[in-house]
Amino acid sequence: MRAVWAIAYGMVKELVRKKDFYVLVIFMFVLLGFLSYQNFFQVKGISRYVRDFGYSLLMFFSFTIAVTFTAKQLPSEIESKTIYPLLAKPLSRHMVIFGKFCGGVMISTISFTIFYAIFTGFYMTGGGKSLVLLGQGFIFGVLFLCMVSALVMFFSNFITMSANVTFIFLLYLTIRGFSDFLRGIILFSKGIVATLYGILYCLLPHLEFFDLRIRITHAWDPLPMWVVFTVVGYTVLYCCMLLSLAGYIFERKRL
Amino acid sequence: MQQKVIIAKNLYYTYETGNKRVEALKGVDFSVDNGEIFGFIGPNGAGKTTTIKLLLGILISKNGELAIFDKSPSNSNTRQTVGYMPEIANYYRYLTPVELLIMYGNIFGIDKDLLHKRIKILLELVDLEEVANRLMRTFSKGMMQKVSFAQALINDPDLLILDEPTGGLDPVSRKRMRGVIQDLKEKGKTIFFSSHELSEVELVSDRIGILHKGQLLAVGSAKDLLGEKEEGQSLESYFLKMIEERV
Repeated sequence: MRAVWAIAYGMVKELVRKKDFYVLVIFMFVLLGFLSYQNFFQVKGISRYVRDFGYSLLMFFSFTIAVTFTAKQLPSEIESKTIYPLLAKPLSRHMVIFGKFCGGVMISTISFTIFYAIFTGFYMTGGGKSLVLLGQGFIFGVLFLCMVSALVMFFSNFITMSANVTFIFLLYLTIRGFSDFLRGIILFSKGIVATLYGILYCLLPHLEFFDLRIRITHAWDPLPMWVVFTVVGYTVLYCCMLLSLAGYIFERKRL
Repeated sequence: MQQKVIIAKNLYYTYETGNKRVEALKGVDFSVDNGEIFGFIGPNGAGKTTTIKLLLGILISKNGELAIFDKSPSNSNTRQTVGYMPEIANYYRYLTPVELLIMYGNIFGIDKDLLHKRIKILLELVDLEEVANRLMRTFSKGMMQKVSFAQALINDPDLLILDEPTGGLDPVSRKRMRGVIQDLKEKGKTIFFSSHELSEVELVSDRIGILHKGQLLAVGSAKDLLGEKEEGQSLESYFLKMIEERV
């Protein structure tokens, strides 16, 4: 595990020393601050919009950091040939993949935590009260970033960094837009068609499971704990499957 | 009997790209004894880097046998006692040399106190102690080469594999590195290195292997290879003659 930690820690150092992250933090702070300022004019229900916009923004920024930082890891290691001294060390390629995944999760979780802290500040001052729901939102956010990092690591084996980033963004939008539609088809179709759609539905990474935006915006009740545990289980299973496959493919990749 | 650190028997490797097949190694046989400095020379595309990649388990040969310390290079534990300096010294530019060495030391599982002591010694050895905490993105090629040498020694390896170690170094640093290589030999370390600098190879190697188009043309000490040399013949002229004969 020390080797995995060493690889992941190297990625965190990169985040700390690059400007992109600081720009996003400042941008987030300024945008939410500006929106909250509108509250002084007593526009009815404005805090709900601030919550909605703020939550979407923090998820988008964290998602962007997770995708861009993780997507460039393997291709840039191969391109700059830093992969050779790394693979000459006593670690398997599975460990390299796992280390890079952990680094991606750490980087995006650090960013997400900072964004979430800013959001929480605005949420609490805007009349939000449910800390349990906020806690659940945080857990779901981290799980979402784990899923995204695992997906990016998996596709890093096949496509370039820019193609990977584009693909993951498109995948996310497609899943957000079509999974409800697909669920509807499965419910109303029968026989082999229903089975095929069912298989497709199960194989898709359900990134929409992690979205608590509407619940947080409207200050609904927190989720029952069994739902939280089910989503945790789903994430662990899906990430293990993706990372095992990614490691298997990377092991066979000629470098 | 000398213990063999590297044993390569009938080693083959073919690169396949689309319909194209390029035979990089064609039945290469050699062995390296414990405590020996083995110089590997050959023109570009001879198969030197492919051999090194096979030794490190980065590539796997489907034909032939290859063992390091009697173990397969594809087993990651084999690399616990191996140090490697790549031809292109490119490292994470947003890290400092100390951070890079800590990262690699942690991968080897070196004890924290020992690691910090070793880093200090290594940075002194390669003359980088003054820039130890400076980001490597500001480093010159020669400085990166020194970092590369230091990282290859972080685990105090029993076998050191160096790919063009003196490329990009000034004459003073080159001489210093030669001295370090000799010191390592005196400590009983085995060194396998490839180079284009034939005079360098002649100066430090106990034995030399000449590789050309994936075939090992000759193996022996410089004295053996140049045994019947005419006056003024150097390893370079012997090497060129041998390659030309093949062409």
